[in-house]
Amino acid sequence: MKGFTGKLVGSLYPITDAECKKIHKSAIRVLEEGGMRCDDPRAAKMFEKAGCKLENDGKLVKIPEKVVMKAFETCPDKITIYGHDSKGKNDIVLGNDEVHFATVTGRYLRDIRTGERRQAKRADAVDGALMADALENVHGLYKSVMWLYDEPKICNSQMLVGEMMKNSDKSSTWVYNTGAEHEIPDLIKLWQIAAGGEGALRKKPHVLGHVIANPPRVIDVNYTSWIIGFCDAGLPVTAYSALMGGATGPATLAGMLVQAIAETLALVVQVQSYKPGHPTCFCSFSPAMDMRTGLWQFGNPEYGTVGGGIAAMAKHYGVPCVGFAINDACDTDEQAAYESALKDYNYALNGISLIWDIGGMAGFNYVDWSHMCIDNEVASFIGHYLKGIQVNEERMAVDEILKVGPLPGSYLKEKHTRKWYREEFLIPELSNRDFFESWERGHTELLEKGKQKALKILDTHQSPVSPEIRKEIDDYLNFVKKRDVEEPDKPPVR
Amino acid sequence: MAVDQEYFDKLAQTVIDGDDEECVRLIKVGLDKDMDPVKAIEKGLGKGIIKVGDDFGEGVVFLPELIMAADVMKQGTAILDEKIKAQGLNRKSLGKIVIGTVKGDIHDIGKSVVASVLQVNGYDVVDIGIDVEIETFIEAVKENKADCLGMSTLLTLPLQVMGQVIDKLKEEGMRDNLKVIVGGCPVTQEFADEIGADAVGFDAADAVKKVGALLGTKQVLLKEPWQISTREDNV
Repeated sequence: MKGFTGKLVGSLYPITDAECKKIHKSAIRVLEEGGMRCDDPRAAKMFEKAGCKLENDGKLVKIPEKVVMKAFETCPDKITIYGHDSKGKNDIVLGNDEVHFATVTGRYLRDIRTGERRQAKRADAVDGALMADALENVHGLYKSVMWLYDEPKICNSQMLVGEMMKNSDKSSTWVYNTGAEHEIPDLIKLWQIAAGGEGALRKKPHVLGHVIANPPRVIDVNYTSWIIGFCDAGLPVTAYSALMGGATGPATLAGMLVQAIAETLALVVQVQSYKPGHPTCFCSFSPAMDMRTGLWQFGNPEYGTVGGGIAAMAKHYGVPCVGFAINDACDTDEQAAYESALKDYNYALNGISLIWDIGGMAGFNYVDWSHMCIDNEVASFIGHYLKGIQVNEERMAVDEILKVGPLPGSYLKEKHTRKWYREEFLIPELSNRDFFESWERGHTELLEKGKQKALKILDTHQSPVSPEIRKEIDDYLNFVKKRDVEEPDKPPVR
Repeated sequence: MAVDQEYFDKLAQTVIDGDDEECVRLIKVGLDKDMDPVKAIEKGLGKGIIKVGDDFGEGVVFLPELIMAADVMKQGTAILDEKIKAQGLNRKSLGKIVIGTVKGDIHDIGKSVVASVLQVNGYDVVDIGIDVEIETFIEAVKENKADCLGMSTLLTLPLQVMGQVIDKLKEEGMRDNLKVIVGGCPVTQEFADEIGADAVGFDAADAVKKVGALLGTKQVLLKEPWQISTREDNV
């Protein structure tokens, strides 16, 4: 899917080019002088191979600037994440001056029919994938929900990914949430089935994998396994720090940025050492801590601003940048609206290529399909803002202005109007544009409109995935369940 | 080109496309072949305008398409009506409505939208423009044998003109056989009651409903525009 484009994409960064160089120098100092703790001998070997110094029995890796810069030499500046449809209609290109939106996940789900916030079930994973598949401004999927409470923990991710693959052919992304390494080959198998085989997945990867550093300054054991898994399967990765300013990172924005970049650079080196040329991008996921509660906060300006800094640094190094843009509101209310809109717009101006935000609430606490439809509308607004004003002869319309005016002329009947208004003006689907008196006499609230749209999608939208592939996925999921749950004495290699 | 179903479909398409030149050209071709002008309206222009009306109601097309379609319809109907008159024939209409923006106000858009939406719904609409004098309203009602008069203003000062037109209609003995609907931003139900209008149209869709109720024309063709609404109207 083509993302939103326009002259405003990447037009605004919170740091200058000169400041990018300063951040780079500082991040390099962190890596050269302090280095990263590295608990996994496999990771240590990757760093050693790249030319890094290992200390403390290989448990501390110091990364020189030349190694970092060499890693970027092999990083491609654009990454295509393919839809797993054969027609290419759902392919997205990161780093191509396009802004894409994707869904995001949550621990709970607001039931669209009862309004109750509850634990998600496998059927909800189906609904989430169908919603993402149907919405016109959603370019990709995150996890429909975080966990399936009606499925065994041991094979939870497999069931979730299986339902996502069965119910949408848009591209998706994966960050592990169980800590279990055993799921890696299973998920890769599911992605291969969806793509049409191992070679097909390698040729047209439809998943962006996440690899994250543990702040401050630790290379995570589990993510080393995921780096190997993603790279071996040919899946592009986004590498980033999950620091929290004031807790696992400094309490200044520049300090957060230096540490986030240092940790990201370490991961880039690790990935490029394991597989030179593997598509790797940056990601914004560095919130500040709320100083009253100790919680991470995604709705605050500093989260978006540091994200913009990460995007500026990605541009500096010549790689794409993606990001999470969720709000902190516990209900679809005014706070949800301004936090989502401001952050999404800020991200888009920062040229962040893929934004995970659609349908997510309360800092990953729940997802809501009604809210998803409203976010889908917000995305359309941002898409229009990004265009800026396109100045050319036909659009400047001097001939029309001379022809129609002065009054009583009207542009409404002009062919010029008919030709251009749909492209130049946004015609919102859900936002109120009623006459004030009509609205006062009676209206449908925005959230209810979102709900109606979502219910219509859930009632009518059919999975675009072929019955053969759906069956193959089901067969594999049944195999996994039997292996892990019904015959636990014969577990796979863990 | 034969005057057959394909011809009528093409004629309908000129309305949908807002192509007045092609519409006029096709009508002339048809009339040269002794086409029944009533059929040209019913099977051609009318079909086109209904399609545009439906699409507008569904949110598929918007005001520019609607206004352009109504304009093409108006131009086509004018030619065909002359022929109908000359042949001593009649054609069905839901009613004839004269509409204008009152003296002192040159706001055209809202009134034109209402006129177009009424036209799309099967009414014959005579749009007498903006800044319309009291006398001009009276003459237009007489001349067109109107069933209904619509008056619009966006401003507060010209509001009084609406009342003066109604008073004049009464003086001329024309009020009893004529329905009067008023509309525009400052027009309230209280004001409409005060000046003795029959109804107030709060928006274009509302105007169609109210005119339908006033003239007893139940067969409203247009689907509800701005369709996501739970509005309960007091019609």
